[in-house]
Amino acid sequence: MKNFVGIVGTNSDSSTNRQLLQFIQKHFAGKANMEVCEIKDLPSFNKPKDREPPVEVQKLSDKIMEADGVIISTPEYNHSVPAVLKSTLEWLSYTTQPLIDKPVMITGASYGRLGSSRSQAHLRQMLDAPELKARIMPSSEFLLGYSLQAFDENGDLKNQSKIEELEGIFNDFIQFVDITNQLVSAKSVHKKQAQRFSWEDH
Amino acid sequence: MKIVGIVGSNADFSYNRLLLDFIAKKFNKLIDVEVLDIADVPMFNQSDDQTNSDVIQDLNKKILGADGVIIATPEYNHSIPSALQSVLEWLSFKIHPLDGKPVMIVGASYDVQGSSRSQLHLRQILDAPGVNAVVMPGNEFLLGEVHKAFDKEKNLKDKETTQFLESCIKKFIRFINVVNVMHSPDGMKDLSSTEDLYATGFIDTTIKDINMLDDDWVEQAANKTNAVDGNTYVKLNRGILTVDQINYFLDSMPAELTFADSNNQFLYYNYKYEAEDMLAARRPEQVGYPLAECHPDRAYSSVAWVIQQLRTGKEDVVRTHVPTHGPDKFVVHSYQAVRNGEGNYLGINEYVRDIKPIIDWYLEQTGQQLTGGGVDAVSGATSKVDSVSGATVKNN
Ligand SMILES: Cc1cc2nc3c(=O)[nH]c(=O)nc-3n(C[C@@H](O)[C@@H](O)[C@H](O)COP(=O)(O)O)c2cc1C
Ligand SMILES: Cc1cc2nc3c(=O)[nH]c(=O)nc-3n(C[C@H](O)[C@H](O)[C@H](O)COP(=O)(O)O)c2cc1C
Repeated sequence: MKNFVGIVGTNSDSSTNRQLLQFIQKHFAGKANMEVCEIKDLPSFNKPKDREPPVEVQKLSDKIMEADGVIISTPEYNHSVPAVLKSTLEWLSYTTQPLIDKPVMITGASYGRLGSSRSQAHLRQMLDAPELKARIMPSSEFLLGYSLQAFDENGDLKNQSKIEELEGIFNDFIQFVDITNQLVSAKSVHKKQAQRFSWEDH
Repeated sequence: MKIVGIVGSNADFSYNRLLLDFIAKKFNKLIDVEVLDIADVPMFNQSDDQTNSDVIQDLNKKILGADGVIIATPEYNHSIPSALQSVLEWLSFKIHPLDGKPVMIVGASYDVQGSSRSQLHLRQILDAPGVNAVVMPGNEFLLGEVHKAFDKEKNLKDKETTQFLESCIKKFIRFINVVNVMHSPDGMKDLSSTEDLYATGFIDTTIKDINMLDDDWVEQAANKTNAVDGNTYVKLNRGILTVDQINYFLDSMPAELTFADSNNQFLYYNYKYEAEDMLAARRPEQVGYPLAECHPDRAYSSVAWVIQQLRTGKEDVVRTHVPTHGPDKFVVHSYQAVRNGEGNYLGINEYVRDIKPIIDWYLEQTGQQLTGGGVDAVSGATSKVDSVSGATVKNN
């Protein structure tokens, strides 16, 4: 059984991305343990001189370190990733760097038809930056459009073909996690190199 | 032109702030920049609306009141920093001050790529319907390896970089004018974009590589061209005079004379009186300026219209009367096309004079009187320019 961390990419009290992660947690309970983590209580990133993470960041970082893989679900704000999720990634990249070589799957929900496609594309580019260097699952996008209408009163996705699509991607992710973690332990040197990277001292 | 500069970083020390401060200082004759920090803006949260907080309202008002906005963005993890993202979320949630606003993007970062990726993200973000800014296309100003870019006086070290930045700023000024035309309601045409009032091009006679805005442009240009002066003879059509004689001759003309070339650069005036004693004030250090710098923004459209009449050959002279000098003066500005033998437009001869003494003298000599309200004879000649300036009201 895999251990996953799910990150809710918003600080909003009501969130269809939170609902989506809760659905994934429930629906795939037989395949993986997933803890749904919130970022709304993290302080705003402001480049501290000491490069030390605040406690909340350290806690999230520890969970990511422990996990076999991470699922990030992002809303779309102005064609991009919400500031609060960007801030989280800034903390992680600037301090503990737990995402280096970590298998990551991206999902997203939006109110409109496009289902956060543009913010997912931005998120991919961000996770690829040298201080994050996550292992993002390639060629898989789970886009949930019209997200306000997507769930029933039990919090389940209403659309059966959407569920099947998600099952396919989730199974791929479990395999991707295995392959990636094998690859990564074979190249643990690379990991140390990446960890030493910092924009400000080269 | 009023510009708001937004520092896209909330770091205590920011190179992007340095860059905006440099722009504000270096180009203060082109634009009036107010640099705004975003460090105090809270993290956006749709469940905790703080649109009415002072910080956000302050940003809102300043952006609404500006002709354009320059955003300087660092690159954080290949994107824009969360701090800037958060500001843009507040400014697209309940209020939309950037809607239709001309925006220029610049950016400084550590990487040699200098924020190229974050600038692309920022473009897409500014294009989102809730923001809907009008971003100037092209002209990416990327300052890479920023930790090596500034000297101790906080100036950009590299001359070429500064020159490129200047060309971007000039294009932005023109871009703002174009956007304003685009947004002006039908019938209120702003014609300022029909002329290059910032003299960004050059013609055969343009004296290059001297900053047009330098106070001693004349001295620098004279040096560069080995211009003659004093009692050196100059051959003219038709005659020979020394430079001194030409000067005294032009000074004795019963008008304030100004010459601007076809590149819209102000090259000469018969400097005899100080600005406060002139009918149309000129200052010695203005010589060399592009015409845009000699007029307030609101006059650009009229100035451009006048030049167009002369350049296209529609008119040889355009006149306007300026009644602000009171009833004792009949001040007329005449804009006369200067053309060569083939009739090509070479520039503008603006002569300004008070014609009342001549009219008085003529009436006295001939025993005639002005009738019908006195000054009709003069104002009749001004309808052309009036009809334009009436049409240049901007919708801001
Ligand atoms: C400031 C702001 C900007 C937004 N911009 C977009 C956008 O560009 N595209 C989009 O699909 N939804 C946009 N939305 C709506 C999103 O909140 C919605 O689509 C979101 O992805 C739903 O995620 P959630 O239910 O987890 O909060 C925006 C909302 C806010 C508050
Ligand atoms: C969290 C974080 C992520 C960064 N990511 C990048 C990056 O992707 N590309 C880059 O060129 N610089 C990156 N940098 C370095 C910035 O370019 C550098 O901090 C720069 O000085 C920021 O601009 P400022 O001085 O205006 O704050 C990053 C810095 C931080 C703190």
